[in-house]
Amino acid sequence: MRPRARRSKLRLRAGIALLAILGVGTAVGLGAQDADESPAVAEPSAPKTQDKVNITLQTVPPRKAVVKWGNKTLGVIPVPRPLVVVRPRDSGPLDLVVRAAGFLPVHTRAYTFSDSRVAIKLTPVSEKNTLFGYRAEVLPDAGASPDAGAPPPAPAPAPAPAPTPAIPH
Amino acid sequence: MKGALQSTVLAALALCLGCDVRGVASLPPPQTTSSATTSIPAPASKPAPPAGKPATPAPASSPPAPQEPGPSALPDDDRALVIRDGQESWTSATGAARSGYTIIDLGDDWTPYIFAEHRGSDGQPMPNRYRRVFLGLANDTLDEDGEPLPAGEKNYLELYGIPPSLGVLRARFLEDEKQKCHEGANLAAMEAVETVGYVAPEKVKQEEQRIARLRSDLEGTRKKANARTLAELAAKDPKLEPKVKLVERRAAEKLAMTEVERRLACEGMFKRGVKHSPGIYDDAMRLAVRRFQQKHMIYESNYLRQKTMDALARAPLANDHEALVRVLRERVVAAAGVVEDGSAEGKNGPPTYTGANGRSLPVRNLVEEMKQAAVEQLGLTSPEAALAFFKRHSAADLRHLRAAVRLPALPEYYEPNMDLSIVIDRGEVWYDLPWDSAGVRHAQPRKRYPSFHVYVKYKEQRIPLARWRTTIGGWRAEQASDGYEYFRYKGSDVGPRVIRNVVAGPVWIAPESTPIRTLVKPKTVNGLQQRVVNYDELGPGFLSAYGLIAGYLVVPGKGGKPDWDNGIRAHGSSEYLSMYSAEGYSHGCHRLPNHLAIRLYSFILHHRPTRILGDQPTNIARQFLLDNDVFEIRVPSRGYQYVLEPPLPVDVLEGEIKGTLKKPVLTYVPKPGVRYPGPPPAVPNSAEGRAGGIGPGRSAAGDDEGGTP
Repeated sequence: MRPRARRSKLRLRAGIALLAILGVGTAVGLGAQDADESPAVAEPSAPKTQDKVNITLQTVPPRKAVVKWGNKTLGVIPVPRPLVVVRPRDSGPLDLVVRAAGFLPVHTRAYTFSDSRVAIKLTPVSEKNTLFGYRAEVLPDAGASPDAGAPPPAPAPAPAPAPTPAIPH
Repeated sequence: MKGALQSTVLAALALCLGCDVRGVASLPPPQTTSSATTSIPAPASKPAPPAGKPATPAPASSPPAPQEPGPSALPDDDRALVIRDGQESWTSATGAARSGYTIIDLGDDWTPYIFAEHRGSDGQPMPNRYRRVFLGLANDTLDEDGEPLPAGEKNYLELYGIPPSLGVLRARFLEDEKQKCHEGANLAAMEAVETVGYVAPEKVKQEEQRIARLRSDLEGTRKKANARTLAELAAKDPKLEPKVKLVERRAAEKLAMTEVERRLACEGMFKRGVKHSPGIYDDAMRLAVRRFQQKHMIYESNYLRQKTMDALARAPLANDHEALVRVLRERVVAAAGVVEDGSAEGKNGPPTYTGANGRSLPVRNLVEEMKQAAVEQLGLTSPEAALAFFKRHSAADLRHLRAAVRLPALPEYYEPNMDLSIVIDRGEVWYDLPWDSAGVRHAQPRKRYPSFHVYVKYKEQRIPLARWRTTIGGWRAEQASDGYEYFRYKGSDVGPRVIRNVVAGPVWIAPESTPIRTLVKPKTVNGLQQRVVNYDELGPGFLSAYGLIAGYLVVPGKGGKPDWDNGIRAHGSSEYLSMYSAEGYSHGCHRLPNHLAIRLYSFILHHRPTRILGDQPTNIARQFLLDNDVFEIRVPSRGYQYVLEPPLPVDVLEGEIKGTLKKPVLTYVPKPGVRYPGPPPAVPNSAEGRAGGIGPGRSAAGDDEGGTP
């Protein structure tokens, strides 16, 4: 695993542990009850019905964040408590954008197949180079790779299989 | 086999519910019966139709309604339509199945077996997450995400393995009966050309000027040569024949193009908001052609090739009838549990085997035989007959409609547990780089393409049942750990393997080597156009990298060790051109069109001992950066899992290595013309990495990372 990925993972685990300590189960969601297709936002302790699911949204590290579903603002994650969204069961996924000051916006998805808890890892803007997909700038004098189109000398394959860099939730 | 399964299931149902079997007495025994049974548990029973379902209306021109038992005299879940001597009647499905009829599920709530909801040993339902979406897509009620389809929208997904329901086809028939797309069409113009050549929109004017000049030159020559026509000129001077043919072909294509545009517009194939310039094969036209091909299950590139032109020249109702027959085919194949589709036939006809009586017998095309039997017995042999059928049966009738049909007998090699195996021949294989250092591509022609063979062992004979085109890996773009894309040879490894796990609605968990640009797509979310993770590619879904179903090829573990997984799968795919075009390759997996993959695995699951594990929930999330946004891939399930016990043997043959390199390149290769920050990083040592042929596999146990689609 690359060092930056390992650092990110450690930070994530620490964040999740913190959330557990804070007791997310007692959190209260914000936002008004929405009509029709809009998700309802409810308290997490609200009684569940068979045809509804609760989606519990939280940030890691815990930061106040705005959750948007397309044009609609679903609510604000009121740290340290989560935001709980109520949706009809099996009504399709929600593609959400979570924005917190000082952090990169996160595009994530919540499902309605069953109750779920979504822990959204936030990355400070200053640490975007720790994310997969970050590309270092090519130096102006680097030029095109001289051996483009031809295989380079074979480096040894990377050692030991790296664990899947998945984010556990 | 499936018929026998349904017979068993329905018989059990009858015991439980005390089903009314009064209708059976009136049914003659079928001439043939199927003999096999299966060891898999029965799917959960279907929901009862809505209360107060109306009886089938019988217009004057249709066969008289059955006297007894009437539809209302039978329980909703034990009612099947049977047609004898052109007369429709209702009978007990249980009794009919017991008498050797096969019950064909024609209901709108049908899914292939792989998406059926089963029950566990404790009797509890084992829900399949994708079932609802599959049904919504087939019935034009949901989109690929499972969200409501906007009113009036159509899915047209038959080409990708999701055939329309009979309810959708009924609406199509009734609508097409009224519309006049075919009336007044200049069919001669369409039939005058086999294809319409593609001219890039920006070159249309230039091409028109070139053809005009050529025509003018030829006309001048014709006058000088005293020829009455250009054809006569070509006959006099054969050197001019290619030029004359080109001018004439372009003129014919122009006329045909006008007709094509008219037809596509009439059928509503042009997407709203995308402007089309008449006579130009622009993006709007390409999208319209693609939509037409999807509607009519035409496996061609998005141009006006022969099959597409043929379908455009046919009357809409004729195309609808073909669609109905295809839909019926999949229902019958599912009910009968067969896979032999004539694809194993060679130049000398079908393969043969020696039967129990010592006689040589041909491998029959059971798919065709059974489809034809059903079409004829249901009286759906023409567009007119099909239209009449849909007029007799309301949309409500079709929701849970089942029909009793007598199907031909299964061959003697059919057993409850068949000794099946798969052989994948890689065909001709190129390891050489397909381009030079200047970035110029070089052809790597193949005469023998990769092929997928299904066999059954019977009386010490290996009998070929089916043979389909498939894919092997090739040179692909891959994202390295430095964030840059390189080329890499993504091979398909060779040798004996097994398929132990089969996953319906599989999810491909994109490895980090997946180019990020492919992991994001635009989508309108709640009224806002934004970028989202491309879950189409991840699945579950018909566009998923693993298609609608996948079998996982592994080297079986020995001595109590887990299986070793090199990341190769045999799976369905919507990328049909990767299978059917000369230059098609995968990332290492063996692809089949979704509908064939569904047939294959439904067949295997029916004829091998199978354990159903059901939905495999997981909680994987992975983030990546694109510009200044973080995208999070979130996967709640790996799909619906079946386990073959014992696993299915698979042998991957090396094929014939062409070109200079006799072994695959195992490193990243910089893309020509791309600036990189340094030398290429080492390739990852993951299952996905090893698909290129690196080292031993990894344990298949407990690792979620996806393989190579």
